[in-house]
Amino acid sequence: MPKIKKRRLGISIDMTPLVDITFLLLTFFMFTAKFKTEAESQQKFVIERPKSTADTSKIPDKDLAIIKIAIDTVAMDTSYYYEMVNPKDWQQVLASVKDLPEEMRTAVQLKVGLGLLEKLIRQTRIVNPRTRFAIDADRRIEYHWIEQLMDVMRRQHATVFNFVTDREGG
Amino acid sequence: MGAADFGAGGKQPRQKRGSLAPKRKKKKRIGFRIDMTPLVDITFLLLTFFMLATRLSQPQVMEMSIPPEVTEVEVKESELLTLYIRGDGKIFYALGQQEPREIPLSQLQPLVVRENVRTESRLITALKVSPKAPYGRVIDVLDELNLAEIEITAQLAAKNIERKRRFALVPISDEERIKIGDLPANGNAQ
Repeated sequence: MPKIKKRRLGISIDMTPLVDITFLLLTFFMFTAKFKTEAESQQKFVIERPKSTADTSKIPDKDLAIIKIAIDTVAMDTSYYYEMVNPKDWQQVLASVKDLPEEMRTAVQLKVGLGLLEKLIRQTRIVNPRTRFAIDADRRIEYHWIEQLMDVMRRQHATVFNFVTDREGG
Repeated sequence: MGAADFGAGGKQPRQKRGSLAPKRKKKKRIGFRIDMTPLVDITFLLLTFFMLATRLSQPQVMEMSIPPEVTEVEVKESELLTLYIRGDGKIFYALGQQEPREIPLSQLQPLVVRENVRTESRLITALKVSPKAPYGRVIDVLDELNLAEIEITAQLAAKNIERKRRFALVPISDEERIKIGDLPANGNAQ
């Protein structure tokens, strides 16, 4: 008796619409993607920003100096960190601050104390007076960190600044 | 995958059977299929990568300005609202020289709106924060004040009064910290 050959089932689905949609989404995400900055990928902490609802203004993407106050969860210490968005200004500011250790001159983000921070803010205001300041602080830190920072900024006449927040529920 | 010869599959038996019949030359249809599976694989891989790597919620900013120097400004007692934030995050308020009273965060907005409308925008709001209060709480309060601003402007516009915002972050004194229970009353300031 001849063996009945089992028919192999071969399904082929038309994948063209799937590819269409996938490419559409891919291009959308490629164009809207904003990646982490160099400083952000180097830092060892995560800032839990406070949430706010009222404001709709977005963070400016140039002429910006960011003062971060973050809790390093590994070393368990809180400190100020300073970085600037314009690389050219940042180089000038770093060059103008004397008595800076050599390895700090190439960093994109500096871990600073209040004394150095005051020097950096002063130089920033000299190099680029249009620079705006943003305070990006963890919501769990105690308020005296902010208070001391505001004293420093008041002394340097940087009296307008921004608190960086996240949108509520976003 | 056998997708490429899919179109010719149906004709084969007919040609064999009909060998006696006059040969008809049929034009071969040019239909080809490309196996798209690897393409889809790679595209989905890239898609997931970009979806995960992108940050959808951009951080926003809340603008603040501080007075250049700490200056004493004389204010009418009835037109001063002081808000305190204690070290544990509790909020207190005092009108003029009143004793500070506790207020939940949700009640803050109606209070600020009411007082601002009562004084016809002459109210000065001072925020005094304990050095030990969590920063997130400060932002919560500032956020409530910003939200109240919309209501205040609307209510004052109905009365034809221009809104001028008067707000200050003021350092807290030890006496005030004792009053709201942030420091023990025996005066051991830290």
